[in-house]
Amino acid sequence: MAETGNAPTSSTQRELVIERIFDAPRELVWRAWTDPERVMRWWGPKGFTAPACQVDLRVGGTYLWCMRSPEGQHLWSTGVYREIVEPERIVCTNSFADADGNPVPASYYGITEDLPLETLSTLTFEDHEGKTKLTLRTEGLPDGEMRKGADAGWNEAFDKLAESLAKA
Amino acid sequence: MVAPASSDPISTTFAALADPTRRAILARLTSGEASVTELAEPFEMSLPAVSKHLKVLERAGLIARSREAQWRPCRLEAGPLKDADDWLERYRRFWEESFDRLDEYLGEIQEREKKFGRKPPQEKEDQNGRDR
Repeated sequence: MAETGNAPTSSTQRELVIERIFDAPRELVWRAWTDPERVMRWWGPKGFTAPACQVDLRVGGTYLWCMRSPEGQHLWSTGVYREIVEPERIVCTNSFADADGNPVPASYYGITEDLPLETLSTLTFEDHEGKTKLTLRTEGLPDGEMRKGADAGWNEAFDKLAESLAKA
Repeated sequence: MVAPASSDPISTTFAALADPTRRAILARLTSGEASVTELAEPFEMSLPAVSKHLKVLERAGLIARSREAQWRPCRLEAGPLKDADDWLERYRRFWEESFDRLDEYLGEIQEREKKFGRKPPQEKEDQNGRDR
């Protein structure tokens, strides 16, 4: 089982950060992210499957991952690898895509008009007491404005505020 | 500072939230309406300075100011805040759930390796096929 939960981000970070500690050696976690057959075994939220996955794991190479919603909708994601340091670090861009791998706005899938076309993710894989700490940092959510906000430390306040709003 | 006008409502919300004074004002308004004077109290700040922050919040649709009463009380408008929060929450949940599945999957592989030894046939194939 994973040990930690996550926090959307801490007040000093400039991006949205999601962390998790996996009870597995780092090489195994790395392969789960970089081997298409393995990605297809886990990618996507609960109830989703990943019926297709292509990975061209080199700097400048692209990936094209597909997930299928419980309702049967296929959603494709693509991006370009900017940095690959096996088994430590992957930097890549992300955007929604059509089935041919052409980047499309989120509105293509009726998700929202408000998302930027492309975000930048940095994945780090760290040895952590025999386990692996995986950190996913995402920049460019949405439109760069959020990073400004995160820099000013709004997250904590925002969470509390949202909580109190939910109660109201 | 006032963020450049944005066509994108979520960005406008985030920009308005990027300032600690404005967040404190919003937090104060979660407990009810307040006048500009009341809102200025906790800050070492002139009324015009506070008014400027209120304008940013108003433009982002995060607060509304009554036109009726002369003291024009401010109140919280939850809509945009909720949209921004919903979006981030969806994104976060997407990855949390994917990580749950990855966690299960890693558990399964390791279980299999324990049962069948370090390198069962499909694992060998897997390794040969992988891009190094």
